Amino acid sequence: MDLFLQTLLNGLLIGGVIATFSIAFQLTFGVLHVIDFAVGAWVVLGGYLAYYMAAFLGIDGFLVMPMAFVLFGAIGYLMGPMIYNVRNSRTARPELMALALTFGIFTLLRGGMLTVWGFNTHSVPTALSGHSIMIGPVTVPLIRVAAASFAVLIAGGLFFFLFRTRYGLAIRATAENRQNAALMGVNIRRLSANVYGLYAGITAMSGVLMGGIYSVNPEIGLRYTLFAFFVAVLAGLGSLGGALVAALLLGVIEAFVATYGGASYSHLAIFATLFLVLLVSPRGILRRGL
Amino acid sequence: MTAQAPAPGDQPILFVRDVHKHFGGIQAAAGVDLEVGRGEIAGLIGPNGSGKSTLFNLVAGMETPDRGQILFDGHEIGGKKAYTIARLGLARTFQIPALFENMTVSGNLLAAAAEGHWHGAQQRADETLALLHLEPVANNRASDLSGGQQKLLEFGRVIMRQASLILLDEVTAGVHPNIRKIILEAIARLREQGTSFFVIEHDMEMVRNVCDRIIVMDSGRVVTSGAFEDIVQNSEVMQTYLGRPQ
Amino acid sequence: MAQTMKNRWAGLLLLVGILVVLALLPVLVNNYWLRVATGALMWAGLACSWNMLGGYAGYINFGHSAFFGIGAYATAILMGADFAVPFLATIPIGMIVTALFAVVIGAPTLRLRGAYFAIATWAFAEVLMQFATVVDFTGGTGGIGLPPFLNERFFYFAMFAAAVLTYFLTWLLFERSRFGLKVKALRDHEPAAEAMGINTSLVKLQTFVLSAVVASVFGSIFAYWVTFINPKSVFGGDITDQMVVMVLLGGLGSLWGPAIGGVALFFVNRLIWMYYGDTAFYIAILGAAIILVVLFLPNGIAGLFARRSGKSGSVLDTVLGRLLGSRQGGRS
Repeated sequence: MDLFLQTLLNGLLIGGVIATFSIAFQLTFGVLHVIDFAVGAWVVLGGYLAYYMAAFLGIDGFLVMPMAFVLFGAIGYLMGPMIYNVRNSRTARPELMALALTFGIFTLLRGGMLTVWGFNTHSVPTALSGHSIMIGPVTVPLIRVAAASFAVLIAGGLFFFLFRTRYGLAIRATAENRQNAALMGVNIRRLSANVYGLYAGITAMSGVLMGGIYSVNPEIGLRYTLFAFFVAVLAGLGSLGGALVAALLLGVIEAFVATYGGASYSHLAIFATLFLVLLVSPRGILRRGL
Repeated sequence: MTAQAPAPGDQPILFVRDVHKHFGGIQAAAGVDLEVGRGEIAGLIGPNGSGKSTLFNLVAGMETPDRGQILFDGHEIGGKKAYTIARLGLARTFQIPALFENMTVSGNLLAAAAEGHWHGAQQRADETLALLHLEPVANNRASDLSGGQQKLLEFGRVIMRQASLILLDEVTAGVHPNIRKIILEAIARLREQGTSFFVIEHDMEMVRNVCDRIIVMDSGRVVTSGAFEDIVQNSEVMQTYLGRPQ
Repeated sequence: MAQTMKNRWAGLLLLVGILVVLALLPVLVNNYWLRVATGALMWAGLACSWNMLGGYAGYINFGHSAFFGIGAYATAILMGADFAVPFLATIPIGMIVTALFAVVIGAPTLRLRGAYFAIATWAFAEVLMQFATVVDFTGGTGGIGLPPFLNERFFYFAMFAAAVLTYFLTWLLFERSRFGLKVKALRDHEPAAEAMGINTSLVKLQTFVLSAVVASVFGSIFAYWVTFINPKSVFGGDITDQMVVMVLLGGLGSLWGPAIGGVALFFVNRLIWMYYGDTAFYIAILGAAIILVVLFLPNGIAGLFARRSGKSGSVLDTVLGRLLGSRQGGRS
């Protein structure tokens, strides 16, 4: 029973971190109408930044988070217009071309990281690792609790921004209906740059957290892309509230398969679930609006 | 064949009885009854949101009716797949041109004939290009056409179907008078060959000149039908329709 | 008109010339380069099979390696001691198994649109790879060996024949028949295609099965050629990635694009392998190639040669438009 509860709690905590970048991923889809294959690469890059900065500056890895946000936010801000242009170009099949573009970005980043850093695995160093805390009858690693707390803070900040500020309203309006937003005077092109920057920054921050809990290597990016896709499919593309639920569910599924079935089955389970959900309910089983 | 259906021979090409369709709480079709006779050009008018486009979608198989009967050329087609209905001889245009954008203009015409009318398609495509004055752009990509030319090509694909009933959804809306003239001539030609038409149209001048009979819809029902002059004299109907912004 | 005829003859002459050179290649080059050429032909064929669905029907298959892998495993398992089926007989069996898989997978997934289809096919291929890793009859992670047959010329001509047939079939079905018109019509507008009497579900499934079966043939030959396969080497995502890049580079939806892209990229692969002896750099090159193609060459290399019609503007316009971020490249 304790193992069951422990697995459940572990899954929920990891799900919280997955939720952070999944929500940003969904938002990006809503505004740009692009499925960003590169999401996993941003997670990994955030982890690498924290690893090297912690070593270079001699600080705790988690303290690199603000820097990850600013750096990758800026990179995302610069890349946003490029993705927007491709998605809205008048060449044949822009939707497909945009998917190919983000797939290319992902492949370039993955290949570049492999070339520079090789296949070695690193962990983001933080004082929080190696400790455990008791929650009721179960013991959980402190770092997971801390990571989940940070994730809640980030997601909370994002929701506050979206639902309590004027600019957030513009973003939500655009995500719901681009034509109407354009009519109301929203500059979608500039908004796309900001949203992609926001998304890349948040995703890199959750990469710092993931790098502390697990570890980073260039090949692990595909796993996080899979996570984001899984959440998007379960929640329905673009749905923010659904993404939160789906991410927690994913964390729990992963934890249970890893604990009771063996880690080598967890990918099989996730992919198989993803495939079945797509067949049964192509528009997402948790579909609800923004 | 149900008891309600008229005897073959003088039966209408399209026969719609008590057709219902709702989307959520909106009743887009609330018991539609109408007929389109053989060789007739029937105009369908009504304010925006009165259910005209839904009716077209129901007839063409893009939507499934909740209940009711739709007979096309004696076949029950309610809820049948769009391609099945198309193969029976019904063709339609789309309000927003739905061209095969990355194909050439002649490719669009040939693709329209690929299922069921392939024999002699190349020759008919050439004739259609000539009829619609699209010869100079025959090898252009469809997405490179002007708005008016896109409407022409949309109409050209319907010609290639050699259909017995053609549904036209605002085919002359917003086009240059020259292009409208080309389309009207083409309609007249097809009519001589015995094709029936069912036309959604907002332009009353066009309705008056082209249609044999007008069917007026409002709130998902057929309000009245008859000759243009009779309808015009019925001031209540005209207020319903013309009194609202279009 | 005379110009068109002249171009047509020139094109035909070029094609015959290439075929003659390819047929004589075994006496022209040494075994190393013959192996490289065999690989280039395989990738040209695989890229073409991906392009059937991706380019002509507009459905991006991110799990095409699944069918390459099924063909490879069919041959490997059937040629093993348990069955001892002769090589040539394993190819049609592999095709049948692949076709069955393709029908079962394609019928439900082809209802999905755009990115959902891409994700579903990716998931399917991954599931199949994980499955091949955990079950016994595939040899699990360790893989499976085939009876060695060390005749480079045999494999060269096998790939050559398969590639020529693939391109001939593609030309016949997609460029010269009404089947191709139906496929392109549904790619551009599915509801309109339905309204023209086209059973789009059926045509999509036919295209999907065809592209899958062609990939399985190359998988069969590949397995016998390399004499050893494992889940990663025939189901791996990198295989699909390469096909996608080759088609984009050569020209999506064009007949010769996949051949140009496939051969070009495979030679880049071999060169990098020769000089760096490492595949990581090649992955980065793949990524950069996709980005550059999407941004500056959306019609691929084949698009450079195609006659540009109407108002679509020159390639240079597109490049400048993208670079300057002006509205030239954007929908107004």
